[in-house]
Amino acid sequence: MSDERTGASDRRKAEGPGAVKQPRGAEGAIQKVGVIGAGVMGAGIAAHCANAGVPVVLLDIVPGGAAKAVQTMLRADPAPFMHKGAARLITAGDIGTDLALLGDCDWIVEAIVEKPEPKRELYAKLEAVRKAGSIISSNTSTIPLGDLVAGASAGFAADFLITHFFNPPRYMRLLEVVQGPATRADAVASITEFCDRRLGKTVIPCKDRPGFIANRIGGMWMQSAINNAFTMGLSVEEADALMSRPIGVPKTGVFGLLDLVGIDLMPHVAASMKATLPADDAYVQGLREHALITRLIKEGRTGRKGGKGGFYTRKRDAAGVQQKLAIDLASGEDRPEKKARLESLELRDLAKLAEHPDRGGRYMRAVLLDLLSYAASLVPEIADSVADVDAAMRLGYNWKWGPFELIDKVGAAWLAAALRADGRAVPKLLEQVGTGSFYRVQDGVLQFFGTDGAFHDVPRAPGVLLLADVKRRSKPLAKNAGASIWDIGDGVACLEFHSKMNALDPDILGMIGKALGMGKKGTFRALVIHNEAENFSVGANLGLALFAANIAAWGEIEGMIEQGQKAMLGLRNAPFPVVGAPSGMALGGGCEVLLHCTAVQAHAESYIGLVEVGVGLIPGWGGCATMLRRWTDNPKAPKGPMPAVAKAFEMISTAQVAKSAFEAQEMLLLRPTDGITMNRDRLLADAKARALAMVETHNVPEAPKPMRLPGASGHAALNMAVQQQVLMGRATPHDVVVCDQLGIALTGGKKDHTDEITDEEVMKLERQSFMALLKTPGTLARVEHMLETGRPLRN
Amino acid sequence: MASYTAPLRDMRFVMNEFLDPARLRALPGCEEMTPDLVDPILEEAGKLCSEVLFPLNRSGDEEGCHIENGVVRTPKGFPEAYRMYCDGGWSALAADPEYGGQGLPRSVAMVFEEMMCSANLAFGMYPGLTHGAVAAISKHGTPEQKATYLPKMVSGEWTGTMCLTEPQCGTDLGLIRTRAVPADDGAYRITGNKIFISAGEHDLASNIIHLVLAKLPDAPKGTRGISLFLVPKFLPKADGSPGSRNGVLCTALEHKMGIKASATCAMAFDDAVGWMVGEPHRGLAAMFTMMNEARLGVGIQGLGLAEVSYQNAVAYAKDRLQGRGIDGTKHPDKPADPIIVHPDVRRMLLTMRAQTEGCRALAMWTALEQDIAHRHPDPETRQAADDFVQLITPVVKAYLTDAGWDGTATGMQVLGGHGYIRDWGMEQYVRDARIAQIYEGTNGIQALDLVGRKMGAHAGRYLRRFFHPVLAYIEAKSEDPAMAEEFILPLSKAFGRLQSATAEVARRGMGDPFEAGAVATDYLRLFGLTALAYCWARMAEVALDKQATDDTGFYKAKLTTARFFMQRILPQSSALSSGIMAGGKTLKEFEEAAF
Repeated sequence: MSDERTGASDRRKAEGPGAVKQPRGAEGAIQKVGVIGAGVMGAGIAAHCANAGVPVVLLDIVPGGAAKAVQTMLRADPAPFMHKGAARLITAGDIGTDLALLGDCDWIVEAIVEKPEPKRELYAKLEAVRKAGSIISSNTSTIPLGDLVAGASAGFAADFLITHFFNPPRYMRLLEVVQGPATRADAVASITEFCDRRLGKTVIPCKDRPGFIANRIGGMWMQSAINNAFTMGLSVEEADALMSRPIGVPKTGVFGLLDLVGIDLMPHVAASMKATLPADDAYVQGLREHALITRLIKEGRTGRKGGKGGFYTRKRDAAGVQQKLAIDLASGEDRPEKKARLESLELRDLAKLAEHPDRGGRYMRAVLLDLLSYAASLVPEIADSVADVDAAMRLGYNWKWGPFELIDKVGAAWLAAALRADGRAVPKLLEQVGTGSFYRVQDGVLQFFGTDGAFHDVPRAPGVLLLADVKRRSKPLAKNAGASIWDIGDGVACLEFHSKMNALDPDILGMIGKALGMGKKGTFRALVIHNEAENFSVGANLGLALFAANIAAWGEIEGMIEQGQKAMLGLRNAPFPVVGAPSGMALGGGCEVLLHCTAVQAHAESYIGLVEVGVGLIPGWGGCATMLRRWTDNPKAPKGPMPAVAKAFEMISTAQVAKSAFEAQEMLLLRPTDGITMNRDRLLADAKARALAMVETHNVPEAPKPMRLPGASGHAALNMAVQQQVLMGRATPHDVVVCDQLGIALTGGKKDHTDEITDEEVMKLERQSFMALLKTPGTLARVEHMLETGRPLRN
Repeated sequence: MASYTAPLRDMRFVMNEFLDPARLRALPGCEEMTPDLVDPILEEAGKLCSEVLFPLNRSGDEEGCHIENGVVRTPKGFPEAYRMYCDGGWSALAADPEYGGQGLPRSVAMVFEEMMCSANLAFGMYPGLTHGAVAAISKHGTPEQKATYLPKMVSGEWTGTMCLTEPQCGTDLGLIRTRAVPADDGAYRITGNKIFISAGEHDLASNIIHLVLAKLPDAPKGTRGISLFLVPKFLPKADGSPGSRNGVLCTALEHKMGIKASATCAMAFDDAVGWMVGEPHRGLAAMFTMMNEARLGVGIQGLGLAEVSYQNAVAYAKDRLQGRGIDGTKHPDKPADPIIVHPDVRRMLLTMRAQTEGCRALAMWTALEQDIAHRHPDPETRQAADDFVQLITPVVKAYLTDAGWDGTATGMQVLGGHGYIRDWGMEQYVRDARIAQIYEGTNGIQALDLVGRKMGAHAGRYLRRFFHPVLAYIEAKSEDPAMAEEFILPLSKAFGRLQSATAEVARRGMGDPFEAGAVATDYLRLFGLTALAYCWARMAEVALDKQATDDTGFYKAKLTTARFFMQRILPQSSALSSGIMAGGKTLKEFEEAAF
């Protein structure tokens, strides 16, 4: 098996990840990147450029620091690298000795200590080594651009801008870009193009104001949420419950977020904002020192990273039982965590919540007034449009709605009236919008309210195609509760899943059948399977399957597996090209959909895997057959029936999930010919282009040649390997049962290597093994546990 | 003359032949539960019921309870009978030995319960309510509360009540108004009015322990703001004997259709001293832990009344001479044939018999699972048994009490005009049976519990405990020539209908809960019929095996009754299934104003 692994890396060495994965049309001006400063941000930026297949020079002030940072990143979780091979694209060096390595870099990112002096000194040295026309940017989050280029040459200032990444750089989609008066337009265009297409970022232009967009508004939100929690006597649980789901913020809320990013970061942010903002700015006015927070920092209780806890603390008591504690904001004492229970919290309507008389309602009103009026007062000071502000908050803070979308939720008129009632100023932009809203849909196009008082289309970068936009302007070709089919132009249709968590159910299978029928009739020329939910699909609807199993409706369940297999074969044998375009998780049945597509165009952040064993099952929709087929047909695999079986068994029996599209390619879950798109917003357009490119040459694939599988002796060998795992304590009793059934399906059951076996016959074995497992109490317990806790049961 | 004889033969059949007695004896504390030990207990119980309790049934109904200045007098003979009941140790039969109980399993105690319900349901209410209160205090009380109250309640010296209902709230307990204010002494002061309180006040015991649902001053709205309090009629002195009178008074007795000898009281709590049982705001949950037990107990009431009505209907039908057999004279020596020769009378009697015996089997199966859920050493086995009890409890409560109402009405019908007049006692059974469909959660609420709570719990895990064993049985017996055609085929048809209905109700209910609610009652009935069909198939299997040793004709009768059930009762499952599949559209569409 180790041979295989070498084979995989050989392929990468020979071709280089960029050769396969580089998006078409991305041959921009930037071919090589330099990053100075190998701290969390600098190293992360370097890793992500390497992810894009671009050679990177990474330098650090500490000798050997950059090389060490690369090693650290290889072990980090979440991983900064999309695949291990990317690390080889990074050349590590020291600022002191290796500055010359930057000589052929087209873009140099500075991410050193947040002080203007050292930065300016560094820039002066760069002047000596950088090539003419290379672009320099700083990843500063606090220092005005004017300060950074003070005293620099005109040429340097023309090549200089600020590129503010968010942490972690691989995963956060926001990039704030600030240009100075001297910055040349084509430098901004090159960086925007590169970061958009190659790094997959959404580039938001910002004004040169402290904190730019996201941290300025996010800072106000945190400040108000903390101050008001103290003054209004809320518990941290209550504050976090209110500052999360009701306003579309991640469930950490505000105190949980502080624990996550580090409580000690607070005073630094406050100090730098105070130093750069005018004294009458609402943020500066609202600055408070809370004795409790000062004490926590002093005691080193800075949140999750310190291990000593923060607002929330996990501790083992004397009996070794884990305790969940939360801090009492009034007394400063830790006490057992308790779920927030407020009448206001039960309200779904945000305006009603903010008007509820209990402390939850009063708190929500206070924070919303601070946050939303501040945001409204900052356009156009910090950004040209409300759409840019909202996008920055969504992508930089993972909010579901930006502040202006929130204003539309509560009503601009409500907000203005509430501000007036409290004797507060109503921002000009809010006055302007009056009783209207900041967004509207006009002729199927989303528009925002501009500072000129008119509505403008929300801009999309050239070449971006969003399903959301298609849906706004058209009606589906077909639709049921689980899926819809949309016309995305040029004779291409998009099959969209939209069930809960995009779990595959009979509705979705039915819609796949419908799409196949429509395609055969010529309603469209090619089909893309894509959706814009967080996850492509988490697999089959386990709740339905478990319920059916609990009432012993075995016939119905087997029927659903057959229906699924038929749908998958239908995709594989479609007379038109079918392109799968996943983003996020594509697990179990979701993975099997991709395995049967003519081609896949995957977002780089796709997490693909056959994870059925986690719930005590095996892939039943051709996942076993296809993985056997892919390893059998892999020209680099050793000959004979066993290696392919062993590879498939190893992957499926351990429920391995690829942590990126690149890893999925290494695991053969994607083919070498499948494409990868870095920018999620460009995925649908890329998939559509791929589908169109195949239309002319597409033929119904020939039935694959039968395989030879090792049969009973192979099955016995696999079971022996599982027994080894049991002895080492790595496999549980029910793992043995599941692996036994997986072994039957992968080794061909009663056939042996002298017999030929078709993919369809393997699928029949999948079905039988699946049904056998579903009847075991161990599997039923696993499925139930997964449904109720979201975690696998190790029984 | 009306009479009652405990159906000991059939009870033993269910305990020892239909159920596997080894399952009970495998449980800790139940090793001794052999027929040698259990049979004499049941025989004695039968005697108490037919000789002491049954003779007071009619007189108690006619006399009823009386109230004067807050003092309630039970009918003549009740206090003496209650003393005999306690002195004989019957009160303590299934109670925890730690508090003076005899520790018999639930599945044995339930047989006795059925006899009491047949003999004198109104009398049985008094100890029945006590058992519920004992269960709540055992599970949620403090050590002091247990030590002070349980021994006396177990022995029957003191009785208990459950005070839930108020004038403005019955099913929706979130609307409770009774307040509990903390006092300096760690106790609470309870103030409010309760109605429909069974055994709220009477002259059978020296003290009455009320368990009262009330709200604390800071309670959240709705059912999450209710706490449970223990309020004794007399505050116990330091030595444990009843002391000063507490501020709780019976203000009136309800005038009811049936169970007239049971004192159904309106109670006024006026600054009464009470102690919290369990945690603040968790009172309803504490009450619900014993709800399953109470609901099964009400199901048994339906069974008991149907049984006694059946016995008297049979006696009358064999005795009453009217007309001649439609297919020829059967008793030429008599002036007319007894009416039992007539096919429709036989239909009525066999319907009663098939339902009663089927219900007994289902109830005792449930009781055994309860014992397993309480006592089995393996947690997974306990869990599986508890799942089953959770699932089947609403079915047992509603199906058995419906059978009680149908059965007693049919029994009355067999007697014709003599059933309708008071002399034969048949109309009392009808009146007594009616309440069981109403209290402890109406049968409509049971149906909602089944489709709304039990069906979806843990993605249908409770359902597994019924569907898997039944399907396994069908598969195991479908090739058995003696069973396949007559018993397994109709069972598997009903089972298939129940499967489809379950999938459909769950699917539609997820989209629109009204749809599930609209067919819930029919679904529960379909479930009950299928459960009985399974019980009947298994009973038929036993009877087939024992035909060779059938000296008394018991097994032959069993087989014929089983066939009657399969052929003449079970087909209702087809009609129910059609109705369920048709759904709730018409119920939803009908304009409110047009009603």
